[in-house]
Amino acid sequence: MTRTLLSTRVLLVCAALGVATGLLGGVAGAITPLVLAAAPWAYGLVLGSHVLPGIIAQQVFRLPLVALTTHVLAALVASAVNPAWIGRFLGTALLFGAIQEGVAALTRYRAWGVWRFFAAALLIGVVVAGVVFFAADLAALPLWAQIAYLVIALAGPVVWTAAGLGVGERLRRAGVARGVRAG
Amino acid sequence: MTAVADPYADAAARGLLARIGPLAKLAAPLPAMAVLVFARDLVTPLAFLAVAYLVIFVGARVSARVAALLLLGIPTGAAVIGLSLGLWVDSDLVDGTDPVLSVGAWSLYSGAVDVGLATGARLAAILALGLIAGLTTSGPDLVRATVQQLRVPYRIGYAALAAIRFVPRFGYELEVIRQAHRVRGAHGGRGPFAAVARWWGYLVPLLAGAIRHAERVALAMDARAFGAHPDRTERHLLPWRPRDTVFVLVFWAVSAALLTALFPWGL
Amino acid sequence: MSSAASGPTTAQAARDDGAPTPLLRVRGVSITHEGADAAIPASVTFDIAPGEVVLLLGPSGSGKSTLALATNGLIPQSVPAELTGTVAVRGMSTVDTPVARLAGHVGMVFQDPDAQLITGTVFDDVAFGPENLRMPVADVLARTERALRQVGLWERRGENPDQLSGGGKQRLAIACALAMGSELLVLDEPTANLDPAGIEDVYDALRGVAAQGRSILLVEHNLDAAVGLTDRVVVLDAAGRTVADGTVDDVLRGRAEELDALGVWLPVSTMAALALRRAGWDLPRTPLTPAELAESLEAAEAPVPNPVSAPPSGAPSIGGGESTAIEVRGLTLRRGRRTVLHDVDLTLRTGEFVAVVGSNGAGKTTLVQTMAGVIPPPRGAVRVDGADPARTSLRDLSRRIGFVFQNPEHQFIAHTVFDELAHGLRGRGMSDDEVRERTTAMLERFGLEGKGEVHPFLLSGGQKRRLSVGTALIAGAPILALDEPTFGQDRARADELLRLLRDLNETGTTIVVVTHDMQLVAEYAHRTVVVHDGRIRADAATADVFSDETLLRESGLRRPTLQAALRGVTRHPELASVTALRALGGGAT
Ligand SMILES: Nc1ncnc2c1ncn2[C@@H]1O[C@H](COP(=O)(O)OP(=O)(O)OP(=O)(O)O)[C@@H](O)[C@H]1O
Ligand SMILES: Nc1ncnc2c1ncn2[C@@H]1O[C@H](COP(=O)(O)OP(=O)(O)OP(=O)(O)O)[C@@H](O)[C@H]1O
Ligand SMILES: [Mg+2]
Ligand SMILES: [Mg+2]
Repeated sequence: MTRTLLSTRVLLVCAALGVATGLLGGVAGAITPLVLAAAPWAYGLVLGSHVLPGIIAQQVFRLPLVALTTHVLAALVASAVNPAWIGRFLGTALLFGAIQEGVAALTRYRAWGVWRFFAAALLIGVVVAGVVFFAADLAALPLWAQIAYLVIALAGPVVWTAAGLGVGERLRRAGVARGVRAG
Repeated sequence: MTAVADPYADAAARGLLARIGPLAKLAAPLPAMAVLVFARDLVTPLAFLAVAYLVIFVGARVSARVAALLLLGIPTGAAVIGLSLGLWVDSDLVDGTDPVLSVGAWSLYSGAVDVGLATGARLAAILALGLIAGLTTSGPDLVRATVQQLRVPYRIGYAALAAIRFVPRFGYELEVIRQAHRVRGAHGGRGPFAAVARWWGYLVPLLAGAIRHAERVALAMDARAFGAHPDRTERHLLPWRPRDTVFVLVFWAVSAALLTALFPWGL
Repeated sequence: MSSAASGPTTAQAARDDGAPTPLLRVRGVSITHEGADAAIPASVTFDIAPGEVVLLLGPSGSGKSTLALATNGLIPQSVPAELTGTVAVRGMSTVDTPVARLAGHVGMVFQDPDAQLITGTVFDDVAFGPENLRMPVADVLARTERALRQVGLWERRGENPDQLSGGGKQRLAIACALAMGSELLVLDEPTANLDPAGIEDVYDALRGVAAQGRSILLVEHNLDAAVGLTDRVVVLDAAGRTVADGTVDDVLRGRAEELDALGVWLPVSTMAALALRRAGWDLPRTPLTPAELAESLEAAEAPVPNPVSAPPSGAPSIGGGESTAIEVRGLTLRRGRRTVLHDVDLTLRTGEFVAVVGSNGAGKTTLVQTMAGVIPPPRGAVRVDGADPARTSLRDLSRRIGFVFQNPEHQFIAHTVFDELAHGLRGRGMSDDEVRERTTAMLERFGLEGKGEVHPFLLSGGQKRRLSVGTALIAGAPILALDEPTFGQDRARADELLRLLRDLNETGTTIVVVTHDMQLVAEYAHRTVVVHDGRIRADAATADVFSDETLLRESGLRRPTLQAALRGVTRHPELASVTALRALGGGAT
């Protein structure tokens, strides 16, 4: 048999994590227009929730490629169910997945310390902040709002990363993620 | 449990766009979308919004619901978001323009409204360009296209196809978990903090069940020789056709022409 | 990831004895899951010849599922475990022959029908396996068509498999295995989740497979359905050692008492015969089917004194006091766009033990959940213990009625077993000492002492189920509603749970159970409510419901096996109305 990097089992668990967090993230999608309308500078908090699939996957498996795979699978599934947003799903997935994967790869998948997850979170915050800043023309906002936006854009992924780490930890305590096991 | 259309169904939409490959439909509007992110005027996004709508209405059989989304939903949403963004605009930037509304010491300047509307139109245009692919592509076709044309490993593609079934199943599970926790009286109370605590409590049971289910599906796939060979027999072929190239090139040419004509896009 | 100690090689295995190579050869196999400290199964040896149907029995946790996964190499190649001994398919060791190669010889059907669906249509799903083997398109199409016709799904090939019933999905899984060309079909409890009609569906398909000359290895708790198909029986003890291997006659008939003592489940007719023997009947040949039981009873003399005498003590008499526990009046309920319940009227008296039965999708769960306030009912439609769930707070309601969900994991909210139980007591102004005392008492009562600090998810299936009942009970609710409490449990655990419910019932708790297990209903329920298409199709004493053949057929139900057997007995009329094993005397459960 061709030895592949990720077994079917890891692939499908990644997909399941992507779908399950996506269901919860559906809430985030639903409130996005509201947040954009009511408090555009707080959008980072909502967008940050999209880091969850990759974080939980890495925390559960500690394997190369799981973060990117989880994001891509989640995006493919989401696109199949709701094709209207294909572009958005794939774009976010590739961006977030690549950054989380890249930071893990830089440490050659050896250091799984908490700092590594947060480094990825900050990087995501910076990139996302940049894109949204231009797309939503936030330069037109007053200075305080721009600063608030920047701080929140950075804090969003960090807060959600912390949440993801907590979930991974609790899954482990529940004995679910002990190695990759059969049911 | 909403009765969504069967996500596995083959391209439901007939019409010209259905015959263009998914990747072509995704690639064609990309340059325009990238430029739009930086555009600042009202005309450029409106022009591209018009292009997107033209392509969609000519190329796809648009259902009444989708037509409502395109003709009512998106414009309304863009206007609301635009106007409320206008409220946040720094008044120092626009106080040279006429105030349209004054409440006490605070005034809403027409410049702010312009900035807001431009932003709303921009977001709407980016969204509409994405819908060209979104409204006319089925999930399985997208997966097949990424596998056959982008060389995404087929194991990933088929894992995604199998996982489409997870969505309603986990959605139903989440519903049951919510009911169960409600009955047990877990995390009662109102307000955002209680809500966060509640959702937090659903996460572990949901994910634990999801992981177990995924492991079972993986065994069933392995038992049917999934991943045995570097490739597998494909019965549904989805090659990149000349008409895909034509579609992309024409779209790019039109985008370039529009962008040239409308330069400097309010920068 | 596969860390397997390689067993004897293929060549050695083939040399072992002179007989022609069996299709499947299992020799001294022991399997240790990664992280486990003991090997389960410990030592299994048996063969399957081409064309044979072998039934694998063993108590829960004896390693039957583990062994099934080893027959096509999923253990140790996909599930990390250490395997010693030999498992060989047509002489190929499953430890080092790729699963994909073995897949052409061994097909698998698992317990959960939904976990085996992969693509979007019935046709694509069957074609999925042959495509993975890189067969030419023409072959894929031909094999798929043949397999689908064989299980009777060809006409439905274009549908999304979600549209199939549970039984239909399992037939689809069988077709998938057949399309791979499997000579041996391995099925692990394929009917555990199905209603009676679905079970018949699956066995019809299996009979067709066996008639084609393919081999079958069947792990099944429901022996009544399986025994007619079986050629040979292999039995494991609790540690997973082969203790019996022989023909149906040798093992099931010849050693029935021994198997019964092992805790292995037997056909209901066989268990009935054992009970009758203990009560003094002389039944020389152990029956396996209802027809055989009836036949041997016709031939036998009733013992004196006869423990079964009219009036039948068989059907539990209608229990329940005068007061009303739950009252449902004109309940109509919509979910989504469908009306799931139509104008339902139902009254439960305190102290009753009521079963709610019906085919898949009939509305049983919805009905019971509405009664318990899990789904908010319309105002005035339901009264629980005098209160309207539509107007009562959930906390208040949970003191009147406890609800146990089908999957216990869904309802666990705390991180330790202790907190899980204590949750129901805290927040009602009880002192810490009192909470501790009552929780500890409950732990003991449910055999969970020593597990207080364990995470609920780490308990075994049976323990999880008991904990979920405990959490519903500790709030002191006088009414308990359970949704398919025996789902996914083996019979021994199911029995343990039901005895517990009966004890509760005898001390005054009103019990409502949703279930597909007709024998269970016959054994325990005073009254049976038949739900069909969202309406109450029947509501009567259990014995009356089961004596109405047309009612059962029309609602997709079947008679309990025991009753089907005993009804035909003309020589002993006192047996004709017996439906429960324990009514036969002889101390059977
Ligand atoms: N993936 C795993 N990792 C560790 N231990 C496991 C795993 N799967 C099963 N076990 C353990 O192996 C033993 C045998 O389990 P198995 O599921 O094979 O039993 P079984 O005979 O099929 O039982 P049942 O009748 O309840 O289905 C059990 O003690 C179980 O807890
Ligand atoms: N939330 C919901 N939205 C829409 N339809 C629903 C919902 N819940 C249940 N149904 C439908 O109501 C019908 C009855 O469902 P219910 O779960 O009560 O059946 P059941 O008798 O318990 O079946 P089973 O034996 O399979 O558990 C089914 O057809 C189901 O699809
Ligand atoms: Mg088992
Ligand atoms: Mg149900």
